[in-house]
Amino acid sequence: MHMSCPGYRMSRRSMLATGAGASLLGLPVRELLARADSVGPTRAEHVILFWNGGGMSHVDTWDPKPGRPVQGEFDPIATSVPGIQISEIFPQFAQQMQHVALIRSIAGTQGDHGRATYNMQTSYLSGPNLRHPGIGSVVVHECENQGDLPAYISISGQAPRASYLGQRCEAYYVANPGDKDPYLAFPEGIAEVRGNRRLDVLARYNQKFARQRGKTGFQATQTSIDDAVRLMRSPALQAFELSNVPQQTIDRYGDTTFGRGALLARRLVEKGVRFVQVNRGGFDTHSNNFPAMENHGAVMDSALASLVADLAESGLLKKTLIMMVSEFGRTPRINDNAGRDHWASCFSCMMAGGGVKPGVVVGKSDEDAMQPADRPVNVPDLHATLCQLLGIDHSKEVMTPLQRPMKLVDNGKPVAELLA
Amino acid sequence: MSRYLLAIFSVAALLASLLADPVVAADSVDSVLQAENVALSAGHAPLAVVDDLAFLRRASVDLSGRIPDSTQVDEFLSWPTSQRRVKLIDQLLAGERFADRWTVFFSDLLRLRSNVTGGSALTAYVHQAIQQDMPYNQLVRRLIATNGKANNTPEVGFVLGDNADPYALASVTAQVFMGVRIGCAQCHDHPFDVWTRKDFYGMAAYFGKTRRVESTLTRVVYTTESNQTTVLWPPEGETEDVDRKPMRPRFPFEMIAAGKQLAFIERFQQAVVARQQQRGPAGPSVEDLLAATAEKARQRTRAAGTPELDVATEAKSTLRQIDVKGSLYRHSALRDQLGELVTSPRNRLFAQSFVNRVWKELVGRGFVEPVDDFRTDNQPSHPRTLDYLAEEFVAHGYQFRHLVRMIVSSQAYQRSHVAADADDLVREELESAFWATTPRRMMSESLYDSIVVAGHLFDYKYPDGQNKRVVTETVRVLVEPASPKVAAVTDGPLNEQPLGEQEVETEMRPETVAPAGYALEDAIELDFKALLSKRDDVDIERMRVMSKEELEARRMMMAERAKRPVSGKYETRLVKREYDDNPKFSSAFRMASPAPAGHFLRVFGQTARNELGEQRDPDPTMRQALMMLNGRLAHEASRVGSLEPLHALIAQGKFEQAVELAYLEILTRKVTAEEMADAKELLQAAATPFQAIGDLRWVLLNCNEFRFLP
Repeated sequence: MHMSCPGYRMSRRSMLATGAGASLLGLPVRELLARADSVGPTRAEHVILFWNGGGMSHVDTWDPKPGRPVQGEFDPIATSVPGIQISEIFPQFAQQMQHVALIRSIAGTQGDHGRATYNMQTSYLSGPNLRHPGIGSVVVHECENQGDLPAYISISGQAPRASYLGQRCEAYYVANPGDKDPYLAFPEGIAEVRGNRRLDVLARYNQKFARQRGKTGFQATQTSIDDAVRLMRSPALQAFELSNVPQQTIDRYGDTTFGRGALLARRLVEKGVRFVQVNRGGFDTHSNNFPAMENHGAVMDSALASLVADLAESGLLKKTLIMMVSEFGRTPRINDNAGRDHWASCFSCMMAGGGVKPGVVVGKSDEDAMQPADRPVNVPDLHATLCQLLGIDHSKEVMTPLQRPMKLVDNGKPVAELLA
Repeated sequence: MSRYLLAIFSVAALLASLLADPVVAADSVDSVLQAENVALSAGHAPLAVVDDLAFLRRASVDLSGRIPDSTQVDEFLSWPTSQRRVKLIDQLLAGERFADRWTVFFSDLLRLRSNVTGGSALTAYVHQAIQQDMPYNQLVRRLIATNGKANNTPEVGFVLGDNADPYALASVTAQVFMGVRIGCAQCHDHPFDVWTRKDFYGMAAYFGKTRRVESTLTRVVYTTESNQTTVLWPPEGETEDVDRKPMRPRFPFEMIAAGKQLAFIERFQQAVVARQQQRGPAGPSVEDLLAATAEKARQRTRAAGTPELDVATEAKSTLRQIDVKGSLYRHSALRDQLGELVTSPRNRLFAQSFVNRVWKELVGRGFVEPVDDFRTDNQPSHPRTLDYLAEEFVAHGYQFRHLVRMIVSSQAYQRSHVAADADDLVREELESAFWATTPRRMMSESLYDSIVVAGHLFDYKYPDGQNKRVVTETVRVLVEPASPKVAAVTDGPLNEQPLGEQEVETEMRPETVAPAGYALEDAIELDFKALLSKRDDVDIERMRVMSKEELEARRMMMAERAKRPVSGKYETRLVKREYDDNPKFSSAFRMASPAPAGHFLRVFGQTARNELGEQRDPDPTMRQALMMLNGRLAHEASRVGSLEPLHALIAQGKFEQAVELAYLEILTRKVTAEEMADAKELLQAAATPFQAIGDLRWVLLNCNEFRFLP
């Protein structure tokens, strides 16, 4: 049976009120309580993950090193939290720091894009024999859908595959945030009655074919069709369209793919979507790092600041975990092409909302941001923290098709300092 | 055994056997497989081969990338039964689409990407190599060893694809060309295999002197050879830097001992001789080529007003791969050696891993799975069959078409599917013994082209102007452009190249916007010929004659460009547009690839080709369903065009014949009585018989039977 988010929307008190000896969902209350204790109280219900592909420079963003040769071209600026400084490329976001937590001591182990991306997106190291699901798939596997929209949506880029968690946990992909998606309705000229008739006949044909060839592998096609039809018929679809949003709002986030992506992420979360991944590339700055990072800042700053501010104002920030990660950081040393190369030994990430303790910095890097100076955080610790915030038992095991038990997260430990 | 007998054939007989009938070879694959299955006590009897029409469909998709149209079906059926399959294979192998279809296979294998420096030219080059039957060993040797300028020397695109990074290239060379994942040994001795860190560094050292050079001004990229290697031993951080010494290149893979004479190697040597004889006494000499190049250069410089001497000098240095003036495009002796070693017939892994991949592509599963994980703990399921195919491939001079012919002529390729009621264990046993065919989906490119064929969309299917319509559209118009450099970084999709590696042409190209809406189903064809004839070396020459002032002006222009706003300013406008709703589609096989994220091809499995060892995912997704149910391609393909033969049949009231033709065109088979009854039900429900056939075609294009090979 599918057990979703243990303790989800259920306080300790309400369970106690059901009385000793009674049971909920077929489990003795005592056991449920024990479970709730082990995974902590539930706070977050949604995640917005910003995936910065290519490896974002930590020195030029969350972990500035003023006065050191590694500093580069950006100065640090003060934020709304006394004592915390971030790079000047994020002036608006700096004013939201009271909602934000930073980790400055991630100790990565993978310096190759493919392997590091795999590690950061799945918590596992890539191996030849098994492909692990992305963390977004883990979340939607463990948490029941809210509303009609796909539980997991990836914007402006692909999310990792769900692998052994199954098709239900695959991300739905939005190419250009805000554009009307013509694939969500019958083609022009095909009336509802006719379209539905076609679907009925198609289902019959596929059944017949499965009878001739045996069921192996063919059922999944029909499942994907059923899912598609359910989505086509949902009124929640209008969340995808930004044409009705005032231009002023769009401008506040920045009228860029990234700005629209962040705005769309907020609207999707409001409709109950569990996990939104907003993708952005171009961080692999082996040369000309500084103009590139300046551009990244100019595009991302207003979007991130507006998103955090809006969610805080509506109260949804309490239930929505925002997280910005990259597969690794970049060399503090600046190379001959005014670039920075891959650096996994120490880098940073940003988290906000969803029960994260606001206005804190966890961990510290050494004077040149080369190594964690204290409190090293391993990559799987980030996943374990995310699970903890959502009330997911990160050490729970699921079975692969070859009946090999795999933990949801590869031996991570939640970062206690981040849990409010 | 027959292969040893073959060894004593004379060169002439061998030549004849090269051209002669494939049935012998096919029988041999099957007989080796049969013997091996008996030895493995597979315990089952092989299933029968599929019927003729199913074979036609299967082979057409595999060898030409699309289902046959009704003319091809008629032609096939007109041949005598006993010759049909052989004739079809001949026809498909000789057909122009063979190279298109298999370029995609090589593109996946070599991770060819149109959007990296030199990527498009390399794709075109590989396409040409397949078309002209370049032996596989020759192709690989060139990819490994060539230095030169991006696009100008297409082969160099391979090394540039990994930024000429020696460590990446060590992994790539081992995994792509030998099916061995030595990459793990970069950081530690391989946990499951024999490879040590030193082995890895020894491989990397072959690439250690290669440099990727980029002109900061023109952004022209080329590779050349330096005197120093960057690959040092022990690895970084293991010891003081002063103690690290240049690593000596060493090939860690086992080779058949040089003294050992094997029949297939002798046959290989004979095949090489035969090939040379076949080509005539001598091809064009280097001097001929030089003369031709110099003439071309003269023509070009007359137009450009460049001093003749410089261009000719550079042209010659390019061709001879030596440098006259300094260090431009120096030839790599180390990579030459590596190319020799990798592609040597004495390196069994080279042929085996390739044969295994091609077998998987055609038969549905490899002898070794995953195909790029050959190691002692992961032995082939049928070692002797794999050996046999690999040795035959080598003995025939690494001729790709010969290999494909051997496989598709075999019974193993032509078998039917396990019956529906078989239990899972039996199914698995039959399929893994190659006694039954593993279900296979069409790959995305074939699916696309097959829908286009079935829907008569390669050509206009309505008369000009019949479907004139006016639409009002909202468009976002760019009113103030962003700096192109910036736009590419800020609004680009994932997997964007790093800033430093964008080609200078970007600024001349039209604004590229990530596709959305129905553009996700477009296929814009590349002109492979034009890509190969493109000679962009003019840039370098132009630079040489630029005065200081001109250079400064250019520098300022580029600086100015960099100052433009971060993202462009857009306005939303309503636009009325009249158009003739009479679409035509192009082949997906000639698109720039990989297609943009979210494109039909990507949704149906084409990978980004970034990661080494990426495989196409065969699982269906909701995105795929939405794209087929509501997409433009399937919709347009279902509509009955008034120029189609089907239209005439319906107009004449010949509904049953129309249904028969629809089945033949889309599923390459006859309609059953039950299906005819279903179709008549659709006719009852639909407003017109045209709509009824439209609905039927939509269902047939969407159903699993269409997508899975027969």
